[in-house]
Amino acid sequence: MRKVLEGKRDTRRRLAALPFSQKLILLEKLRDRSLLIAASSLRRQQHRRQPA
Amino acid sequence: MKATLQVVNRMQADGVIAKYAIGGAVGATFYLEPSATLDIDIFVAFGSASGSLLLSMQPIYDYLTARKYPVEGEYIIIEGWQVQFLPPGDALGEEALAQAVETQVDSVPTWVMTAEHLVALALQLGRAKDFSRVLQFIEAGVLNTVKLDQILSRHELLAKWEQFGDRFLRKR
Repeated sequence: MRKVLEGKRDTRRRLAALPFSQKLILLEKLRDRSLLIAASSLRRQQHRRQPA
Repeated sequence: MKATLQVVNRMQADGVIAKYAIGGAVGATFYLEPSATLDIDIFVAFGSASGSLLLSMQPIYDYLTARKYPVEGEYIIIEGWQVQFLPPGDALGEEALAQAVETQVDSVPTWVMTAEHLVALALQLGRAKDFSRVLQFIEAGVLNTVKLDQILSRHELLAKWEQFGDRFLRKR
């Protein structure tokens, strides 16, 4: 467990140390993923509302 | 994001806004690992030909809608990003804007609030996500504690800082 936590901390440190430009590219990917998930959820809700 | 910042820089060059600084989650990303966000918070000082302070966001909206950037609620969509333009609001916001640090995104110049100001603003807002961000800053070890202490003291946020510490940092 300690190794897992250390690994996560290392990853966060590595990401934080990236140049701002690179971090913004990751931010865009995260945003796109969030939007995709949100859109999927909405679509599911719409499908549920439609009569069989 | 680069294209968005280029548009904001053009607004600045055209005199629609004076100095600006990125705050919020995107600003925090300058210091921390990236975390998901859907929008960019841009704090702006307003310029005008007469040098008087403009209190309206209207010139920003007029400028951008004339260039076909759509408005969606409190956001303007600029090159794919939801951008929220915010006035500094109070002395802390004004100081954060004035002391923002210059950086570059693929050779496009831009300004980001200091880590200490981002923490002070998060503390002032006091939502769950703001507290989470403050904890991230502490954990990352990127804060100048002397500078943070001065900012918190200057803007009467020391009591909030104490409360934050009691709630999240001290062992019970």
